Amino acid sequence: MEKYFIEFFNLIGIIAIISFPFFKTKGRGLITLGVIIVQVIISSIVAFYVFANGPVSHTFTGSFITGPIPFRIDFLSAWFILVISFTFLTGAWYGLHYMKKYKDQTDNLALHMTAFILLYNSIIDICLVQNGLVLLVVWEIMALSSFIAVIFEHNKKETIKAGINFLIQSHVCILFLTMAFMWVKVKTGSFDFSAITAYTSAEPAITGIGLFLFFFFGFAIKAGFVPFHTWLPLAHPAAPAHISGIMSGVIIKIGIYGILRVLLLIKTDMVSLGYFILAVSVITGVYGVMLAIVQHNLKKLLAYHSIENIGIIGIGIGLGCLGLGYNSQILVVCGFGGALLHTLNHSLFKSLLFYCAGIVYQKTHTMDIEKMGGLLKHIPRTGYLFLIGSLAICGLPPFNGFVSEFFIYTGLFNGLQSNDFLFIMALLFAILGLVVIGGLALICFTKAFGIIFLGNSRDHEVRNFSKEKPMDFFPLYIVALGILIIGLLPVILAPALLKITQMYMSASVIPVTPAYNSILGNLTSVGWYSLGFIALTALLYFLRHIITSRRAQTIEATWGCGYTGDASKMQYTASSFIRSYRKLAGSFLMIKKDKQEASGLYPEHINQETHPYDRVENWFIDKPLHLIRRFLNRFVFLQNGNIQAYILYGFIFIGLVILVPVIIEKLAVFFNFLNQL
Amino acid sequence: MIDILLIALAMTLLYMSIANRLHTYLRILVFQGFILFGATYLTLTNVNTVNLLLIMLETIVFKSIAVPWFMSYIIKRNKISRAAEPYLPYFVSLLIVTIIIVLAIILSSSIKDANLDKTYFVVALSTMFTGLYLIVSRKKIITHVIGYLVIENGVFVLSLAVGNEMPMLVNLGIMLDIFASVLILGIFFNKIGDVIKNPDVDLLNNLRD
Amino acid sequence: MISFLLIILASFFFMGVVVRTKSIASGRRGPGIFQPMKDILRLLKKGSVYSKTTSLIFKIAPVAYLSSVLMAILMVPHGNNPGFISFDGDFVMFAYVLAFGKFMIIISALDTGSSFEGMGASREALYSMLVEPAFFILMGSFALYTGHTSFFTIFSTLHYGSYISYMLGALATFVFVLIAMIENSRMPVDDPKTHLELTMIHEVMVLDNSGFDLGLIQYTSYLKFAMYGAIISNFFIGVLPFWISIPMFLVVQFGFAIAVGVIESFMARFRMGHNPQFIFILTSVSMLIFFGALLVLGKFM
Repeated sequence: MEKYFIEFFNLIGIIAIISFPFFKTKGRGLITLGVIIVQVIISSIVAFYVFANGPVSHTFTGSFITGPIPFRIDFLSAWFILVISFTFLTGAWYGLHYMKKYKDQTDNLALHMTAFILLYNSIIDICLVQNGLVLLVVWEIMALSSFIAVIFEHNKKETIKAGINFLIQSHVCILFLTMAFMWVKVKTGSFDFSAITAYTSAEPAITGIGLFLFFFFGFAIKAGFVPFHTWLPLAHPAAPAHISGIMSGVIIKIGIYGILRVLLLIKTDMVSLGYFILAVSVITGVYGVMLAIVQHNLKKLLAYHSIENIGIIGIGIGLGCLGLGYNSQILVVCGFGGALLHTLNHSLFKSLLFYCAGIVYQKTHTMDIEKMGGLLKHIPRTGYLFLIGSLAICGLPPFNGFVSEFFIYTGLFNGLQSNDFLFIMALLFAILGLVVIGGLALICFTKAFGIIFLGNSRDHEVRNFSKEKPMDFFPLYIVALGILIIGLLPVILAPALLKITQMYMSASVIPVTPAYNSILGNLTSVGWYSLGFIALTALLYFLRHIITSRRAQTIEATWGCGYTGDASKMQYTASSFIRSYRKLAGSFLMIKKDKQEASGLYPEHINQETHPYDRVENWFIDKPLHLIRRFLNRFVFLQNGNIQAYILYGFIFIGLVILVPVIIEKLAVFFNFLNQL
Repeated sequence: MIDILLIALAMTLLYMSIANRLHTYLRILVFQGFILFGATYLTLTNVNTVNLLLIMLETIVFKSIAVPWFMSYIIKRNKISRAAEPYLPYFVSLLIVTIIIVLAIILSSSIKDANLDKTYFVVALSTMFTGLYLIVSRKKIITHVIGYLVIENGVFVLSLAVGNEMPMLVNLGIMLDIFASVLILGIFFNKIGDVIKNPDVDLLNNLRD
Repeated sequence: MISFLLIILASFFFMGVVVRTKSIASGRRGPGIFQPMKDILRLLKKGSVYSKTTSLIFKIAPVAYLSSVLMAILMVPHGNNPGFISFDGDFVMFAYVLAFGKFMIIISALDTGSSFEGMGASREALYSMLVEPAFFILMGSFALYTGHTSFFTIFSTLHYGSYISYMLGALATFVFVLIAMIENSRMPVDDPKTHLELTMIHEVMVLDNSGFDLGLIQYTSYLKFAMYGAIISNFFIGVLPFWISIPMFLVVQFGFAIAVGVIESFMARFRMGHNPQFIFILTSVSMLIFFGALLVLGKFM
């Protein structure tokens, strides 16, 4: 049965693409949406079946090169399939409306939709496949199709640059993965995943750590851990809104899936791995949000926040690894459970935020926060949905971000009971990191929401905003509903999470203790009390409404201390909101500020510009590229455009290929002769 | 009880990193002198009474009374401006001093010697490094001396840790105090202040050959 | 429930005692102890003026702020009685619910489109970010020391054995008092009496609120004070029976209010640029408390 599922699944996608030439653009759009819906339904049914009945698997015989190709849907794959499918569904639906503006670019759209379908198929296949070579092939398909999906607006130069950056870094990722799989193949002779387990259990721990590091660097590039994150803030703004949402919600999570899958397979010293992942994640989280605060391009801001949330997920994973290493069941459950829950939560609220950003872009035609303001009156639905997304991403109750952070906190605080000093220090570091991340996220999203939607417009032109179409908002409403439901009733996901974390524990034979029930109880309490919180607020608001509706209410201008000039110019801008933060963190971030001083008694127009740059990008990408380019510039003379020169080069190469082995052989004979003297 | 005093010493270090007036530094030095006075009394129980009285007298007189008074006199006489001028912002100083204390704790926890009294070691190490940091990060010459006094307090704490076994070390620590007073006298007689408007220490660079 | 009722009771007279202390310290008689509550009742009866620039957020925010503080109060225990809400890890929810209230107040300040509120909002966001780690590390040290992770179980099992645990308790009280002062925007971080825009933080965020909303916001700040006073009193109460713990609670609240009044009368406000260091030093001190707890437990040796 499983065999048919996999074949059918991929076949639908391919049939849909083949049918494109027979339809017009609108038809193609509807076909894309329809195909995605069908595939989502099929994969969700299979995923629920797996959660209810246990893992399913099927093995294709494969060829001589690849060996047998097992496909296996276990709990981890099922979870990720559900997360991916939901976001793709809402993304496709939203994208259909979003792309209506670009109706006349038919070829471009056709290519985009093809890439979209291929992307979905390949990502789901990545979750199923258990053979190294096939995984690499499918990963490559995913990388290429996401590249094509990202560079939809390829008439803009920055989009192409961002896309090429993304493509190159994806291939560095594939390079690391290839090296890791080749290592296993050379040592064990098989591409199968179970060979990795067999290999690492037999070898000393250091081999396992080395192998894990190769996998980790590859998946970290995909997930966006610091310092491999530099493609993220470039790719997200370049892509259209629904692709940004999908990329942030799903494509990054494939990196997390990879790390989790490899942790299941590799048997090595979990404690060191745990410390390593924890350290990298805390740095990622704090760095991501520190840079997010100073951004003024809305999509770039959201991209840096994705990096931060990957850091939070990583903290959970690191905690789980430490739990495996120290045989503590609570840590494993809280760590991995929190990480997986946060994966789902992040895909929900981040995609919501990106979709709202897309709507804002379509109304205002700019992504610069500093030019917006007062949009809540013009596009209220987008505004309130953005507010829900912001509250969720800051981890505030009653929404889902709080639940997953709470889960991780429970694990961290419970871990303090141990007797290992270094472990306690690491937990302190992680708690500190998580709190700082939460606080900085609050600053960032009060800035984002406040500056974009509240106050007066900071742009001088009087714009007429087209009205919002309520039907377009359906996918966003579904996502918001999901955010609320997970925030209030996290227990519905608890059995699934427990099954997945047991996969890790049964690998190391740890008994299940009732400590899990108390954590479950805490989560339930959190949910019910959040519901109580909403009820309390609603009740108080209702009381207030009753009491104040009988009182006098007048509408005046905002008190301006007698200032009669342009009120919208006096508002706080985004740069001024974060100014005190920038003074504190300025030496650590790289912010270039161009100032002009006011001079004379009646100064003219003065400008001040701040540009946030990324120091890590500067050290890891720009400087090495600069050095490489300088080195290679010396060889520019080889590229003189003269075709005869090129033929000469080919001639020299053939000559060398023939002559060099002959010369070496003669030299060997000569040295032998000398040796015998 | 002794641990309380040592933790209080660590707290004064934190406060010193964000202080921006020279008089605050001096008041913290006085407070540190009192803490060390109490610490000496509580720790050195095996030293004979005369030596103990001498050490305690020296601690209170030199660290809490004489040196700070003398330094405030110098500040007034040489017309040194009253703000400490750091190279790095205060927030970064606070972060660095916190990191110094945390690193000292991690370092001392990885030493597995049972004879080592951890609290003394941690506080001494963090005091010494904070004193070094104070010297490195401030512009005025007078803060160099203050940083040196802080280092010396740290050395004193370290000598207290082994004071019961080797009382001579504590006396050697007192010698450091006297050395510091010579330094201060040097500043006094040479009227080094910030009479020169440019950063003072940078002009010392002119002395290189 | 008793903790909730006691805190509401304390909030009635708390601010009055502070104002009275400040007046007596300046040599005046000062208003009665219930004067601030009478002011609030007066405000609640008034009509309101709303600005054209504001939206629904401006109207919801004071209510959301009050309800977040009420939720937080429900979690504070009193001696042997847990709060209405008590589960493992509830102090995490405590901190984040309060953060929700702050979020709403900050965006309602940005809603007015005025530079004054924006200034207050940006500073408030930064300072609350800097003070959060102190609270968490402090609760972490207590969780480490007592082995439990909820407010009720931590405070009911907190006992002072050696000298050093007394010192840690005193230090923790000191840090908590400062956290309370910062969160309520009092001296030395913010001066509630100054109405110069460049020097305000919290007062300026609510400059445009009027009438019922302003009454709610002011009452919420008194509630917050009483709440922190209740947490501080828990350090001392332990598991004593009611007839000792309730008078002790009232004594601690009075003492806290008088201390606040005294600090406000005798200290000047710090320079605005000096505030971040001052707030962050609380985090460093709580880290020292954490290591002290490790020392007491013997895990450090």
